[in-house]
Amino acid sequence: MSRRQLGEFEHRILLSILRLGGESYSVPIVLELEERTGREVAAAAVFIVLRRLEEKGLLRSRLEKPRDARTGRVRRYFKLQPAALRQLRESRRVLMRLWENVETVLDEA
Amino acid sequence: MKRKRSGSRLPFFFRLPDQSIFRKALARRENADAASEFEELYQLRLARDGRRAALGWRRRQLVHLWIRLAGEALRRKLFERNRPARPTAQSAGETMSNILTDLRLSLRALLRAPLFSLTVLLTVGLGIGGSTAVFSVVNSVLLQPLPYSQPEELVKIYTASPPSRWPFSVADYLALEEQQTSFDRVAAYNYGGMFLESGDEVERVSAMPLTWAYPELLGLQPLVGRVFEAGDGRVGAEATALISHGFWMRKMGGDPAALGRPIRLNDRAYTVIGVLPSQMGPLEHSREVFPILQFDTPSRKGPFFLHIVGRLGEDVDAAAAAAELRAINRRIFPIWESSYPDERASWGMQDLREAVVGEVGRPLAVALGAVAFVLLIASVNAANLLLARVVRQRRALAVRAALGATRFRLARQLITESGLLGMAGGILGIAVAAGLLRLVEVFGADYIPRLQEVGLQGPSWGFAVVVTAASSLLFGLVPALEGSRPGLERDLGSQGRANTEGARPRRLRKALVALEFAVAVPLLVGAGLMLASFSNLAAVDPGFRTENILTVGVEFRMSRYPRMSDVRAFWDEALPRLAALPGVGAAGLANGRPPNQYPMSNNFNLLDRPTPPTESQPAVPWVAINPEYFQVLGVPLLQGRMLRETAEDADIEVMVDNTWARRFYPGEDPLGRRFTSGGCDGPECSRLVVVGVVGDVKYAGLGDSSQGTVYTLQRLNPTNWTYLFARTERDPDLVLPSIREVLRARDAQLPLFSVSTIDDLMAENLQSPLHASALAGALAVVALLLAATGIYGVMAYFVQQRTAEIGIRIALGGQPSSVLWMVVGQGMRLALWGLAIGMPAAFLLSPLLSGLLFEIAATDLLTYASVALGLTAVALFACLIPGLRASAVDPVKALQSD
Repeated sequence: MSRRQLGEFEHRILLSILRLGGESYSVPIVLELEERTGREVAAAAVFIVLRRLEEKGLLRSRLEKPRDARTGRVRRYFKLQPAALRQLRESRRVLMRLWENVETVLDEA
Repeated sequence: MKRKRSGSRLPFFFRLPDQSIFRKALARRENADAASEFEELYQLRLARDGRRAALGWRRRQLVHLWIRLAGEALRRKLFERNRPARPTAQSAGETMSNILTDLRLSLRALLRAPLFSLTVLLTVGLGIGGSTAVFSVVNSVLLQPLPYSQPEELVKIYTASPPSRWPFSVADYLALEEQQTSFDRVAAYNYGGMFLESGDEVERVSAMPLTWAYPELLGLQPLVGRVFEAGDGRVGAEATALISHGFWMRKMGGDPAALGRPIRLNDRAYTVIGVLPSQMGPLEHSREVFPILQFDTPSRKGPFFLHIVGRLGEDVDAAAAAAELRAINRRIFPIWESSYPDERASWGMQDLREAVVGEVGRPLAVALGAVAFVLLIASVNAANLLLARVVRQRRALAVRAALGATRFRLARQLITESGLLGMAGGILGIAVAAGLLRLVEVFGADYIPRLQEVGLQGPSWGFAVVVTAASSLLFGLVPALEGSRPGLERDLGSQGRANTEGARPRRLRKALVALEFAVAVPLLVGAGLMLASFSNLAAVDPGFRTENILTVGVEFRMSRYPRMSDVRAFWDEALPRLAALPGVGAAGLANGRPPNQYPMSNNFNLLDRPTPPTESQPAVPWVAINPEYFQVLGVPLLQGRMLRETAEDADIEVMVDNTWARRFYPGEDPLGRRFTSGGCDGPECSRLVVVGVVGDVKYAGLGDSSQGTVYTLQRLNPTNWTYLFARTERDPDLVLPSIREVLRARDAQLPLFSVSTIDDLMAENLQSPLHASALAGALAVVALLLAATGIYGVMAYFVQQRTAEIGIRIALGGQPSSVLWMVVGQGMRLALWGLAIGMPAAFLLSPLLSGLLFEIAATDLLTYASVALGLTAVALFACLIPGLRASAVDPVKALQSD
C-alpha cells in the first residue's frame, strides 16, 4: 500500500524499537526517545504513531497479559516487521548518500 | 460502541474535572492499553523526578492529548461528513447491502406516489419505445448491410439522363456483359407477374426472371438443388427456373422430388432446378418464381426493362468502373443511333443498398429525429416532475442530512429512485417498441423496403439500453444534484417555509419548461407542414370521378390468342355484353390505370418543331385506350373528337391531354399537329396526328406534376394485357361476379388479375403520406401535451407555494386580476422563451423536410405563424387554470393555513 517515505517521528520511533531489541511497548519507547533526543516526548503522539505504523504494516502488535495480576496492567508490544527494516535500510542509504561530502562543510561552518 | 470504562474507574492520570473528551477517546477498546501505559509513565516519573515534576509532566501531556483529540474530532467533523464514501473502504458485501437498501427505499417511495410514478413511467416508456422502434427500422433498413455476400461490392447499374433514370435494354445488357472489365460479373433481372398453369387452373404468380449469373453474383445458396450455370443462359438451352421456399411449400408440398419437374409459366415449360431459402434479400423478397432469362441478339435497342446488378472486381476503383460504363455506352451508341438518337443518355451506377433503400432514407431519418425530440421532451418533463418531488421532500432530506447522511448517500438514493423509474420505463419501452414494430409491419409494407429484415435485434436492444441510461441520467441527475445540495440543514431551521422551493430549483424548472417548448416547436412545425402537404395531396383532382369504378386486369396468352385479331374479336364480343349488364353503366379499356400506373413512357418528335439531334426528345406516358374509357371515367372531351379506326397507310390518330396541349402548343390549336414516336424519324415511320384533347388524368401518382399524356387506340394495336374499366351503378363488389362470368363465358381460363376499385387505388396512393403525416401529427400532439403539462405543473406549483403571499396581496387590496396576470405573465414568459429558441431551430431544420412535402414550402409562413399562435394559446390555457385559482384565493384562509 503506502510506499511513502517515513515521517521523521515515525522514523525515530522505528529506530527506538530497533534499539530496544526489535520489540517493545510504549513506555520504554517513550523513555528511549527522551533519552536519545534529550527532549520530552508527547506520549499521545507516540501512541498514535505506533498505531499508524501498525496500519502501514511496519509493526505488528500483541497484547501481553499482566504477569502481576495486582497491578493489572495490559501492555501492547510492538514488533518490527521485515518491511520496517527494509524501509529503515532504504532511508539510511538515502541519508548516507545525501550526507556524503557535506559533513565537513557543515563542520567548518 | 460500548463504554469500557466509566468515569470512576479511569486511572488517576485522567481524573480531571472535564473528562468527557478523554473518556470518549479511551472508550475505544483499542485505546484501553494506552490508558494504562500513560499511568505507568506517570508512575515512573513520580518515582524518578518527584511529585512536582511528575504533575507538571502530566499537565503538559494532557494538554497535548487534548489538542490531539480535539483536532481529530474537528477533522472528522469537517471532512468525513461530506466526504464521498470510498468504495475501496467498503467491502463488496457492504456495498451490495447498501444498494439493496437504496432499492428497497426507492421502491417504497415510488409506490407511495403511484400517480407520480405512473406518469413518469408512461412518459419515459413511450419515449423510449417510440425511439427504439424507429431506430430498429432505421437500423435494419438503412444501416445494416444487405443480406448478400460482400454487399459493399454490389452496385446497381442504370441508364441515366438526369433527372431521370431507367433500366437497360437487352442490347445494352449484352454489350455490357461482353465489354466490361471492371466487374467480377454483371447480371440482369426484372419483375412481373406470370401465369402459372396447373391443370385447368391458371394463377398469376409474382415472378423475377433472372440471367444465369444472378444467384452466383449475390451469393444465393439454394436450399435444395442447384442455382443457374452458364449453360442455362444460352439460347436454345432447356428453360430452367428457381422457385421460392414459399412457392415450393405451397404448390409442391415441400417435396424434394419436385426438382426436375416442369412448371408452365406464360405458356412455356420451365424445369425447376432449385429452391431458394425462406429468408431472401430485399430484391427477391416476396417473389415466387425465378425463370431463366435467355437473350437473342436484338434487332433494335429498346425496350428498356432490365435491372442490372454488378459486383465490382477486387481493387477496382468505383470511379474507374463508372468511367468504363460511360465509355461502353459511348462505344455502342452509333450501332443503335437510328432507333435511339438520344445522345445525352449515359450509364451510371450506385451502391446497391442506396438503390434498394431509395427514397425512404430521408423520411426515416426525419422520423428518428422527431422521436428523439419527443424522448427529449419526455425526459425533460420527467426531470421536472422529479425535481418538484425533490423540493417537496426537502425536509425529509434535510433531516437525513442532519442525521449524518452524506451528500453522496442522498444523491445515490435519489439516483436509485430515478434509475428504477428509468429501468421500468426501459422495459415498458421495449414492449412498446415491439408493438409499434408490428404496426409498422402492417402499415409500412407497401413503402418501406427491407421491412422483412426489421425486428428487435441486437443493435435495437443496445439502443434501448443506451437511450434508457441516457434519459435516466438526464432526468435523474438534475434532481439528485439539487436534492443533495449542501446546506440542506438550513432548511430545517426555516420552519415556516420549509416546503418552499428555493430560487435555484425554481429557475431550473423554468428553464426546463422553456426547453420543452423550444423542442416542441420544430415538431409542431414539421407536423403542420406534413399535414398541409397531405391535405394538398388528398385534394389533388385526379381528373375524373373516382367512385364506383371497378378495374380488372385481363391477360391474353399467346397460345390461345396468337393473333391480334383474336384479342380484337374477344373484346368486340365481350364489351357490348359487359355494358349491357345490369348495374354497369359503361365499360372501357386502357392499359394504364390512374392514379399511378402507365404502361410506358414514349419519346416523340413534333414535325413542325423538331427536337435538335443533340437534345433529348420529350417523353410522356403513352396509354392505349378505347373511346369508352373516357366515358367510364367521366373525363371531358375539351377539343376535337374521339379516336377512330383509320386505314393502314393513313396517319394514326391520337388524343392528347390538356397538359400536353398547353405544354407543346401554348396558346395555339393542337389539333391536326403531327409527330413521329419512339425515336423513329425516317419517312418509313408512321406519323401520328392529334384529333382530340381530353382533360388531364394522373398516371404517375397524385403527387407528380403531369408531363402530358398521349392516348392511342387500343383496337389498332391490341396489347396482350389490358385493364377493363366498368362504372357501376351500385357497390362494385356486387357487380364483379357477373363481369367475371361474361369474361369467362368465352374463355374459361382467361387470367384476371389485380381486381380493384379506383377509390381503393386512390386510398392506397395516399397511404404512405397519410401514415407519415399521422405519425408526425401524433408525435407533435404528444410533444404539445408534455410541454403543456410541464408549464401547467410549474405554474400550479408556483401558485401553491405562494398562496400565503397572494393572500396578503389580496388582503392589502390587490386586484384578483393583477394576481391572475402575474401568474399568467410568468408562465407565458417561459412559453415565449421556448418559441424564441424553437422558431429559429425549426427554420434551420426545415430543409430536411423539403423533399417530403407536396406543394408547400418548408418555410411556409402560415404554418410557422399557426404553430406560434397555437403554442401560445395552449400555454395561455395551461397558465390560466393556476392563474384563476390564484386570483380566487381567499386571503383569510390562505393566511390561516400557513
